[in-house]
Amino acid sequence: MSLWRYEARRAGWPACLAAPASLLVTLALAVASLGFGAPPPSVHGVLLSGVEALVPLAAAMAAVTVVSVDRCRELQLALPAAYAGTLGRRLGVVAGIGAALSVLFSAVLRLTGSWTGPQSPLASVLVWASPLLGLTGLALLVAVLGRSVVLATTTVAVMWLCQQLFAPALAAGTWSRPFFLFMTSRAGVADGWGTNRAVLAACGVLFITAALLLLRRPERLLTEEEV
Amino acid sequence: MRSRLSAVCRYEFRMQIRKRSLWVSTAGLAMLIAVAQGDRGPRYLPAGTSAAEVMASWALLFSMLLPIGFGMVLADRLVRDHRIGAAPLLASLPTRPGALVAGKYAGSVAATAVPGLLVLLVTAGGEFAHRGDVALFGWAFVAFAVVLLPGLAFVAAFALVCPMVISAPLFRVLFAGYWFWGNMLGPNYLPSLTGTLLTPIGDYPASWLMGGKALYAGDSGWLPFLRPEPGGGAALLSVVLLTVLASLPLAFAGSLMTRRTSS
Repeated sequence: MSLWRYEARRAGWPACLAAPASLLVTLALAVASLGFGAPPPSVHGVLLSGVEALVPLAAAMAAVTVVSVDRCRELQLALPAAYAGTLGRRLGVVAGIGAALSVLFSAVLRLTGSWTGPQSPLASVLVWASPLLGLTGLALLVAVLGRSVVLATTTVAVMWLCQQLFAPALAAGTWSRPFFLFMTSRAGVADGWGTNRAVLAACGVLFITAALLLLRRPERLLTEEEV
Repeated sequence: MRSRLSAVCRYEFRMQIRKRSLWVSTAGLAMLIAVAQGDRGPRYLPAGTSAAEVMASWALLFSMLLPIGFGMVLADRLVRDHRIGAAPLLASLPTRPGALVAGKYAGSVAATAVPGLLVLLVTAGGEFAHRGDVALFGWAFVAFAVVLLPGLAFVAAFALVCPMVISAPLFRVLFAGYWFWGNMLGPNYLPSLTGTLLTPIGDYPASWLMGGKALYAGDSGWLPFLRPEPGGGAALLSVVLLTVLASLPLAFAGSLMTRRTSS
């Protein structure tokens, strides 16, 4: 347990607070919507977007930070412990915080009758887990490959923003539909929802595997400072 | 005083303009926008469309995504000085914190403006090849000055200062979310700043140049007093308000820097 506490401290408070902050923003937006007379379905949509869109964005940005901002990397590489394992624990802490909060948030939404996602408990986990895996995997791969915080964070932000901007076109296209991150909140639990979640999760696993292969030579991360 | 400000501005500009990530992210985003704009984008405006409308449409399109890259680049500029230990050295100079921040801000805006302006000029060149109107280049400068630059100045101010309070990673998360909520989320969906005078993508100035509503400018929604009918006066007011808002975080930056350096 002390090792995980240590890794959480090494990941840094901004990375650990990203997911809670994103859910606080979601709640603030929902309260503002209620205050300005938005109908309940709109408010429920905002709350669902928080779990499906904002938590994965926060986890992905936090993952870039964990990979890129390690001031003791040379020291880590000199230790017998594999660096990929160390990085994995830190990313696990960040993703774990996002996952735990998402489960809690979804449960509260169900209890209050505000949940508009799938009814099955397993499927409701996929609302946030698949985009989280996909976006965090992409962030990890670009961070390891590009060794630049700017490149990785811009890639994640632009991917997220473009998917929000072109949501109707992405949800309607046969080829783009499986890769659409915000299927539940923007198109509902419609045909192809399960395939979409499976493809996103598979992409995430693929990206993470590629990043792990690159991390077999962790010294390639040493030259990342301010490229 | 002025020479010190100019010196800080010059060194910040030189440091930024050499950042590979600034050029890579700008080029990548510009190409993405040019390819993914869809058949309603400025590339498909009919022949005979005025040069002002063509370049305003391009400037608006670029200002939807380019500031994302600029915000990510600038998010660690002041924080980085502390991380690499340059902050105490800068504090020992006979330059006041306010002048240091102003110089860094001006240098950062200038350095990020260069690739933005180049992108618009290259686009004007592409449009000139099939429209044959030399005025496109002139309107590229105008569109850059009124659509892209005020938004860039706005983003730069918050990207420089906010990470000193909430850290760069947290700023990047909130910035990406804000950019969608405050600029492109339809105001009829939920309360947002989209379509108001405070929209940094330049909706009002672009509407003025295009002679009609560019995106959501003036649409009914939250804060109706910030949603006048688009026009020259409203465009000017939008630019002034964005500039005033950008000065707010900068006003606190000097004291934040001093506190961080002394702690």
